[in-house]
Amino acid sequence: MDQATQVIWDGLFVGSFYALIALGYSMVYGIIKLLNFAHGDIYMVGAFIGYAILTSLGGSFQSLGLFALIVVMMVSMLLTGTIGVIVEKLAYQPLRGAPRLAVLITAVGASFALEYGVAAIASPNPRGFPVRLDGDFVLVLGARVTLPQIILMLIAGVLMFALDLYIRRTSTGRAMRSISLDMKGSLLMGVNVNKVISRTFFIGSALAGAAGVMAGAYYGKIDFLMGFIIGLKAFTAAVIGGIGNIRGAMLGGLVLGLVESIGSQLVGGQWRDAFAFAVLILFLTLRPTGILGERVTERV
Amino acid sequence: MNFRKRTIGMLGIATAVLLATSACSGGLLGGGGDTGSDSGPIKIGMIVPTSGSSAPTGASMANGAKMAVDEINKAGGVLNGRMLELQIADGACDAQQAVASANKLVSSGVVISVGGYCSGATLPTLPIFNKAGVPMIIPAANSQDLVKEGLKNVFLINGTGLQQSTAALTFIKKQGYKSVALVDDNTSYSVDITTETKKQIEADGAAKVVLKTSVNAGESDYSSVVRDIMGSNADLLYWTGYYQEGGLIIDQLKKAGYTGDIMVADGSADPTLATIAGAAAEGVYATMTPTPNTIKGAEGWIADYKKAYGEDPKPYSTQSYDAVRLAAAAIKAAGNTKTDDVIAALEGIKDFKAFSGPLSFTKEHTLASGGFVILVMKDGDFQLFDDLQ
Repeated sequence: MDQATQVIWDGLFVGSFYALIALGYSMVYGIIKLLNFAHGDIYMVGAFIGYAILTSLGGSFQSLGLFALIVVMMVSMLLTGTIGVIVEKLAYQPLRGAPRLAVLITAVGASFALEYGVAAIASPNPRGFPVRLDGDFVLVLGARVTLPQIILMLIAGVLMFALDLYIRRTSTGRAMRSISLDMKGSLLMGVNVNKVISRTFFIGSALAGAAGVMAGAYYGKIDFLMGFIIGLKAFTAAVIGGIGNIRGAMLGGLVLGLVESIGSQLVGGQWRDAFAFAVLILFLTLRPTGILGERVTERV
Repeated sequence: MNFRKRTIGMLGIATAVLLATSACSGGLLGGGGDTGSDSGPIKIGMIVPTSGSSAPTGASMANGAKMAVDEINKAGGVLNGRMLELQIADGACDAQQAVASANKLVSSGVVISVGGYCSGATLPTLPIFNKAGVPMIIPAANSQDLVKEGLKNVFLINGTGLQQSTAALTFIKKQGYKSVALVDDNTSYSVDITTETKKQIEADGAAKVVLKTSVNAGESDYSSVVRDIMGSNADLLYWTGYYQEGGLIIDQLKKAGYTGDIMVADGSADPTLATIAGAAAEGVYATMTPTPNTIKGAEGWIADYKKAYGEDPKPYSTQSYDAVRLAAAAIKAAGNTKTDDVIAALEGIKDFKAFSGPLSFTKEHTLASGGFVILVMKDGDFQLFDDLQ
């Protein structure tokens, strides 16, 4: 029994990281139908920016703990957001009319450029994050729950809730939705398409940057390849949820986290990814549009 | 403009074809026994990772080798004053990159190889060096797979997975652990050690293996393996992967309230483990080949190394240093650089003075005696705990 709640809690916690990153994939795909493979690396860059700020500000700032982390996370979000916009301007915007495949390749290129750019600047050595969120666990229904886990999940929840409101309630959000429905139509109706796309990249990248700082503080280790696997997982989460759908991405992240966690419990740790992705294949054969993807097909 | 583009494209294809053929001639046709001439510098090849996540280790191995080359050259070289010339190529801990580098080294005429860090990247280079008649003294890579085929040109001077498992078992019995959890990262080197350790523990019967599982490298969250270990009630975890994942697992395990002991294999026996795991790494044991810091009487050597490269020697700096010295000794004993003579000389080496103790080879070309000690993490660095003698 207690093992079961532990499995579920572990899955939900990892899932909330997947969800934060999956949002960026899903938003960008929803609007310009691009798989932005550099997105996972933005997460990595976010962690490194957090590391750089914390290290340069020194020990007295670091001793502020959680407060310092939140400040650093905000700064890191601004910077990764900007980097996301720059990547879009340099690598994707000039290819807006080009075949889908060409943009996909530039996305892979942007991913490598970010990875090895950081490796060249910061050296390929893994770094220990200067501020750690440590805390003793308490048993909740038999699951080991720590305060940092709750804080990080709260932060993730708040960010996702704010994004959901932004997309549903603001005029920019409306513009995003209209572009995803019909880009040419929106252009003709007077929507500044390039500006809205830039903003989409900014928000998606900022969320990934936030996740990067959170991961650095929780897990304590950052390295230049840390965005690769989690990027793939988040992309998977976005597809499970129904790519292009914001709430779907959040749900997909949690579902993937749970499937992995339950899978490793059922069939053993070394089979976790094999199990999780077999479930994914099965799921997509039965429901190709993902959990909440129906509305996308209706739109098309 | 259009025309220029096309010319460049064709040039590119032509270069690619040229490169491919030259690689072939180096790798497959250019071999055949004797590769060395009788005069000029003696070329020594070394494949170590100088890019990728293992790059820091590669750099310290290259430094160790350079130091030995400089010393030997200063003392007059080998074979009547012929100088040694070290050629370093990047293996990136990646099979494809290592194969390309091996081909490059072979076609540039190296007569002996002293490189090899990641077993997975070293393995595919064996047939290339073998066909080209280049003896290999492998300083760090130590998977059993490297000697499984019994290639005549391959010599390991790091302890193998088998020897490391024996050391682990000795320590387990000495400390009286009863239930052991074995976790690897699914790489050839790492699985090697868990499989062998499991076999030995079960054959011995003093302790029980309560868990043997693998994790996928490159992730941040290892909560599932933490659950497995906690559920197995092990009093010792033996982690045989690299320090990046090892640090995370140790940290997450301690956070979950694990109270048993932890031991890591040589891939994690690096101070970076403490950078990642923080205080959780204190008291972690490691099975490791002797390093300069744990060898008595190496202080002078450490000082020289620091003076030359501005940093402390890392694990495998000494082994790379010894690999070059061993290569020079073998060439000296052979009296030439002919493949068969050098191999015969290496097989005949007896009690060569190496950092890890007197060195001789078994019939399988692995170390004849031990070479593993137990270290313990104290104040963020590994120190000698038990030399298992």
